[in-house]
Amino acid sequence: MDNGMSSKTHNANSILLARRTVLQLRTEASRERMKVSKASADLMNYCTEHAMADPLLVGFPTSDNPFKDKKPCTIL
Amino acid sequence: MAAEKAEMDALKKECDGLRAQIEAARKAVNDGSMSASAGGVEAVGRVQLKLRKNLKGHLAKIYAMHWSADSRQMVSASQDGKLLIWDTFTGNKLTAVPLKSAWVMSVAFAPSGNLVASGGLDNICTVYNIKAASPKTLRELDAHTGYLSCSRFLSDSEIITASGDTTCCLWDLETGKQKVVFTNHIGDCMSLALSPDENSFISGACDSLAKLWDIRSGTCKQTFSGHTSDINAIAFFPSGNAIITGSDDCSCKMYDLRADQEVIGYQDTSLNAGVTSVALSNSGRLIFAGYDDFNCHIWDSLKGEKVGVLSGHDNRVSCTGVPADGMGVCTGSWDSFLKLWN
Repeated sequence: MDNGMSSKTHNANSILLARRTVLQLRTEASRERMKVSKASADLMNYCTEHAMADPLLVGFPTSDNPFKDKKPCTIL
Repeated sequence: MAAEKAEMDALKKECDGLRAQIEAARKAVNDGSMSASAGGVEAVGRVQLKLRKNLKGHLAKIYAMHWSADSRQMVSASQDGKLLIWDTFTGNKLTAVPLKSAWVMSVAFAPSGNLVASGGLDNICTVYNIKAASPKTLRELDAHTGYLSCSRFLSDSEIITASGDTTCCLWDLETGKQKVVFTNHIGDCMSLALSPDENSFISGACDSLAKLWDIRSGTCKQTFSGHTSDINAIAFFPSGNAIITGSDDCSCKMYDLRADQEVIGYQDTSLNAGVTSVALSNSGRLIFAGYDDFNCHIWDSLKGEKVGVLSGHDNRVSCTGVPADGMGVCTGSWDSFLKLWN
């Protein structure tokens, strides 16, 4: 039931894990955060600025479609 | 014993304090939602893409696919024990790579086009040279103690892997050894994506968290919560300032890295299927999300509205990908077919 670990080892592992968690949370807590309104505006601007370069969004001529089946020409 | 308990109590108290501090800091900058800001943005209208190619060749469920950087070749992996490399312009199969283990879960194309990598329940990431006369195993990266769920090449000499053993890893392909191990998730890592500048990557895991990592230092920079079940899929918004996740909780979310929080969610009461895969169009405006309901639903990333659907598969959509030139989207399914749409 104890998978072979003594309770002493178990406690030591828990403490190591807790120490690592604290260090990690300290790193995450210390960062600067941008206002959501500004972050959202930046994302919106990116979409707008790059819209014309997004073929799936704005479409493109059929002749430029790399995936369409190319029918062979027949000589009448 | 008493000293240990005292330290444990102090650490727990500090953890709780730090978590509260982080939540407060996030709240303090939460001055408006993305969908509110996007009120003035023009709607995209109904997005109706047509099926251009149905790629037949695999004999069992497809689990993964990845576009080559040339936007023409693509590699797919199936539990029929093969990788297939396709010329998507013609629909022809260029190369078949037989796998030692049929239980494949991930596949990746190196940016050079020279190498592909795959792995799965064998816990090993195998790298193949596909430019040789016949595909040749270059390296077997064997150190994970859990399944290989995802891999992405930085170059022909470095690759990052995500594993069911809860870690991600940066490998040196010249030596076949681990360079950096990324430890912090407490659940199976399911997916990873490289940042556009390749200095960081993001991982999604079964602990319902997404994490941003610094590749060189190995440190976890940020953690994003909110999902209520496994995160199966993750992708970067093209600017590199936001990430998109897809989860078994049937929703997708966008987290902004600089605001350090979720800015918009993508869910619908009619959608009761888990998300398996996500990919973005080149401007970041469209999100293609593959679901267990056999469809790939298309979302307007700014307004949070469903704007289209790619229907046609007869089983779960397991993988989705948009090539670098943004000219189409590929879906792969448990029905053994890959479909190309634009």
